[in-house]
Amino acid sequence: MAALLFIVFLSGVAVFSPMIAGTKPIVCKYKGSIYFPCLGYYYGDWENPIFQKDKFRRVYPRNLKQKDPDSWAIWPLIYQDPYRPVRANEWGLGEEGNPYDAKGAPSSLNLFGTYKTGFDVFASMVHGTRIALLVGFVSTGLSALIGVCIGAVAGYIGGWVDIILSRFIEVVMCVPSLVLILALLAVVESPNIFHVMAVLGLTGWTGMARLTRAEFLKLRESEFVAAARCLGARPTRIMFRHILPNSLAPVLVPIAFGIAAAILVEAALSLLGFGISPPNPSWGTVLNSGREKLQSGYWWQLLFPGIAIFLTVLAYNLIGEGLQESTDPRLAGPRD
Amino acid sequence: MLNYLVRRILIGAITLLLITFVIYGLIRNMPGNPLDTDPAMMDPSKMISKADLERLLAVYGLDRPWYEAYFTWLKNACTFEFGTSFNVKKPVLSLIKDAIGPTLQLSITSLILTYLLALPMGLYSTVRSGKTEERAMSFVLYMLYSFPSFVAALFLQLLFAIKLGDTWFELPLMGAHDPDYESFTATERAWDSFKHMILPVTCFTYGSLAYYCRFIKANMEEVIRQDYIRTAKAKGLGPIRILIHHAFRNTLIPFVTLLGLTLPGLLSGAIILEQIFNWPGMGTLFFDSIGTRDYPVLMTITLMFSVLTLLGQLMADILYAFADPRIRYN
Repeated sequence: MAALLFIVFLSGVAVFSPMIAGTKPIVCKYKGSIYFPCLGYYYGDWENPIFQKDKFRRVYPRNLKQKDPDSWAIWPLIYQDPYRPVRANEWGLGEEGNPYDAKGAPSSLNLFGTYKTGFDVFASMVHGTRIALLVGFVSTGLSALIGVCIGAVAGYIGGWVDIILSRFIEVVMCVPSLVLILALLAVVESPNIFHVMAVLGLTGWTGMARLTRAEFLKLRESEFVAAARCLGARPTRIMFRHILPNSLAPVLVPIAFGIAAAILVEAALSLLGFGISPPNPSWGTVLNSGREKLQSGYWWQLLFPGIAIFLTVLAYNLIGEGLQESTDPRLAGPRD
Repeated sequence: MLNYLVRRILIGAITLLLITFVIYGLIRNMPGNPLDTDPAMMDPSKMISKADLERLLAVYGLDRPWYEAYFTWLKNACTFEFGTSFNVKKPVLSLIKDAIGPTLQLSITSLILTYLLALPMGLYSTVRSGKTEERAMSFVLYMLYSFPSFVAALFLQLLFAIKLGDTWFELPLMGAHDPDYESFTATERAWDSFKHMILPVTCFTYGSLAYYCRFIKANMEEVIRQDYIRTAKAKGLGPIRILIHHAFRNTLIPFVTLLGLTLPGLLSGAIILEQIFNWPGMGTLFFDSIGTRDYPVLMTITLMFSVLTLLGQLMADILYAFADPRIRYN
């Protein structure tokens, strides 16, 4: 239960990330019209071009006041940016820019400290939540789609098709997944988040394929399938409308664990340096920077992303366990 | 049984062919070839002529398309001639021989530790199931199970090597040996190896320890509810005899198949952990050869890994048949 709440909290953080930590105002009124510059964090083109035309250079506070004294803005909770270090004098009050290296320890200005050349850890983690959850959901969804389809076809049709598909599943399972991931990522020159999601999805579907195939083999002999066949339903219809909803229960468990595993692999890839290309923030990139500077002992670069990854994986594992206990017939108590 | 074995081995051979074919194609199609990533070649004052480049490519066997070169590799592999590494000009087999020692050091130690610790802990948590101390232990184990091993590796490194440096608790940061390993006496060498192994083995072990513990507990819970256990208790047998002699044997079946499935992991090494601890094992060899596009090394390691995976699955199935007399393969 707590795990579910934590995941909801994380999703909230991910969705509202530009409003929690960012350098672009949530709402601002500039030269008479209302704009939402923070949406530029989701997708670059959503930031209104008027700010570029007026030479803001992404520094909003000082320029808003200078160029239009009547403007007002609602700022995000924390004024930090994951994509660039906050430079000096952005508010026009003569304050300093972000400290870095040894001076970058957690302070009131940078809640979790800074990493690399002054990028704020807190902002990176908040925006990194978006990437982590996105990678987890989409890649596991892709694996589930591929795995269920292949398993369904193999289980239902049987015979030669089944043998060939089972061999195929075995081949993909025997290939060390890290090799496959690194090879596929090396084919693309600079991987962005979609490449990583696609590659992770393409390598993780074997477990679900085997489960679905076993379920389909079992359910193929049941009476409702015989009835549907008697009524003249086509094989596709039988597979996807009748058998599939009944066989999905065991597949939910590897999906939950798969999301945890996908987040772990993505963090590990970023740690090794193969993940999403910079400057995209990810929990793994903060860890990587902490690891590079390990000798200097910047503990804040390791502690916070480490705890974040741990809690997320824990939450998904708990959800998977809960699903497993509720769907496993052996553990079912006496029926009322 | 023999029939079944032969059939499995033949199907395994076909699967192996398919795997190596796919991997070879994938690796050959990665952008860049060994000549591009060689640092000596990147020196702009040493640009070689096109004719020389082609000659080098022919020497490395890269001038033919990958589906042809694959069959050459296959022919060589069948005679156990795995070629020379492009990166380090040594035969692949000697590179693997050097790297396999450290990896086995880590994986066998952690395997033994895991089994030694997981069995008593699993049995203990079955017996004391529901009591507070068992609940606390399960909780801690679950946390450990979810804790990613590379994060733990980094935390432990930070704690023991950096923060506690220059104290009595200090542990070395990375590597398998001290730089002056050669000049140590035998006991000093043993102590040095031991000190270097503590952190990596801990990181390798705790995850699988937690998993095995919960695995044993889950299976034992199921077995303990059976009727024959109740009969044994009614007969008046002592609790230890019931637990070990009657109950535990029946959980050996899934437990022993796990042993077969961990076989490939023993020799392939955990790539990420070896990178973090700078441990000169198979994982580092593998990772480096991907970076330098060292095809012979890559293919040999992949072949080894696939053979071990298939062998591991076969062994798991055979052990399953031995342990459970209800299962007969024919």
